[in-house]
Amino acid sequence: MTPEALEALLHGSFAGIGAMVAVTLGILLLLLAEILPGAAKLKPVLFVATLVVAFLGELQLLGEPAGPVLGGSYIANQAAAAWGLVFLSATAVAWVFGRGYYTLEKPFQGEHDVLMLSSLLGMMLMSGAGDLITFFIGLELLSVPLYALCGFRRARNDSVEAGLKYFLLGAFGSALFLYGAALVYAGAGSVSLTTLSQVGASDSLSLIGLALIASALLFKAGVFPFHFWIPDVYQGAPTPVTTFMATGTKAAAFAFLLNMAFLLPPAAASSLAWIALLTIAIGNLGALVSRDLKRMLALSGVAHAGILLLAVVSYLKSGDVELAEESAIYYMAAYVFSAGGAFGLLALLESKGDEATTLDSIKGLGSRRPGIAAAMTVFMLSLGGIPATGGFLGKYFVFSSLVVKADMVGVALIAILLSVIALGYYLRVIIAMWMEAETEDAAQLSEPKRLGGAAAAVCVAMVLWLGVLPDFFLGLMR
Amino acid sequence: MSVGAILCSLVVVSARNPVVSVLSLLGSFVCLAVIYLLAGFQFMAAAQLLVYAGAIMVLFLFVIMLLNLGNSAEESGPLDRALLRARRMPVVLAIGAAVFLLTLFGIETQQTVMAADPELVERGVSSLSGLAELMFSTYLLPFEAASVLLLAATIAVIVLAKRGRTQLVADTRTEVTP
Repeated sequence: MTPEALEALLHGSFAGIGAMVAVTLGILLLLLAEILPGAAKLKPVLFVATLVVAFLGELQLLGEPAGPVLGGSYIANQAAAAWGLVFLSATAVAWVFGRGYYTLEKPFQGEHDVLMLSSLLGMMLMSGAGDLITFFIGLELLSVPLYALCGFRRARNDSVEAGLKYFLLGAFGSALFLYGAALVYAGAGSVSLTTLSQVGASDSLSLIGLALIASALLFKAGVFPFHFWIPDVYQGAPTPVTTFMATGTKAAAFAFLLNMAFLLPPAAASSLAWIALLTIAIGNLGALVSRDLKRMLALSGVAHAGILLLAVVSYLKSGDVELAEESAIYYMAAYVFSAGGAFGLLALLESKGDEATTLDSIKGLGSRRPGIAAAMTVFMLSLGGIPATGGFLGKYFVFSSLVVKADMVGVALIAILLSVIALGYYLRVIIAMWMEAETEDAAQLSEPKRLGGAAAAVCVAMVLWLGVLPDFFLGLMR
Repeated sequence: MSVGAILCSLVVVSARNPVVSVLSLLGSFVCLAVIYLLAGFQFMAAAQLLVYAGAIMVLFLFVIMLLNLGNSAEESGPLDRALLRARRMPVVLAIGAAVFLLTLFGIETQQTVMAADPELVERGVSSLSGLAELMFSTYLLPFEAASVLLLAATIAVIVLAKRGRTQLVADTRTEVTP
């Protein structure tokens, strides 16, 4: 390759990966601040500055997408930029609610933040990956820090157990993906999505490979029948990490699933629709019977993954990738703020008492801490899909694309009915907070945290904004 | 060679004695290196031998020695005992086979493979410069991201391991002053 050719290849690629460069710089600066004396005060500032710069980079990219970068190993299109914004919001929400959460692990807060940023970098790499190699590096970059973060509270057995479980099953998922990628390469002769879109991947070897890759992605997203690890890991992991995993990991897996869905045969649509419906049913029924709030939210996350899978199904059936991406991103954005806010409030409730937050422990919260209870109510309504919240519009976009474009009225109807079951347990939380008397094992509330309260308020505002004025966000994406 | 690699990998997971596992892992690595060589990727084969069979294997053996796992002879199953009796044999055999194949078929087969796939010749993937060119142009992003991945993995391990000591200190402190 001549120097000129190399220059042409590299030209203009910085704009496409600017946000990722910012995050990498943030990681290095945070590590530097760790060893420099007197720089401890700087660390939160650095973290926020990193997120802000990356946010601006993604916004810039959303305005003028750079397209394929570096010979197509990364595709910096609008969807990747919009997903990037979702990941950044998820990181910000998880980080803000995590401030003051750790007590024994306080000295390791710096490493915690660095690991979180590395995981964020992995998500960004995954959402825009133009070939399977880039995606795999992104997947590992997402997972490896999360394994450590899940086991971050070494003093607690459930945290260590969550880390180990996630590590073992995650390694299994990675192996599935690698095996699938090798089969696709053997069958179709390429791992680049651009090349694969030209030559197609319809021979039997590639199809088996694609099935394995899709399984690995569904595993990361926690879709039936790969959802068994979700409740245990989400419950055992420190709550801010759970917030991050529930929102970010799911978004990253679906971002790439949508990117590579054009390779799947059209016949996959109906089987994926079945999987999605089963996922919604199992997630909702599991959540209905669990008393622990964290476990309940984890299982409800499984149900939400099922609804996101319906967006992929609608794309497979209709071939309208923009609509599918738009509805999935919108759904995920609403989910980041409502589930992120709900998990974050659990972290606030938990931080003092250090025990599990059950339905009993939040009884009467409405009279003791009306602010927290009101915010939790909004999040629950949004997760349940009540109009005027972001969750409603997200569901509306997914289901309407399913009905109008994909002509799958039956599937949409069953999914809506299953979502009504979900209201059962979301409303139970609201009833426990506002209408039931306080019991003895009520959550020991810590003194009001200004930062946590402000973060909850911002989440509520975002949920309502997403629910009432969707035009602004849709305008960003178009 | 691939049969050898698979057999060795099976022994890795089925053997109870860690030393046997590690040695058969070495055999599996050597087999893989020979496969790379036969496919015409000399640099990959050399890197496989140097990095995996050399450095990583030594690391494994060090860990086993430090943890003193190798002496648990009573834990070993019948397969281990049979292999332990001739424990140097598979390795010696594998290395011998590798060298043998390298000298006999290596260069000729490589040329036939290369001739069979003109695209590979054209892109020059098998040569070191071709590999480097690809790595620093098309695959620059995953290559750089891999370095961040290694950094993150290092930090993750430090967080998990170093904690043990501070936790221990915290525990003993609470014991001393209840």
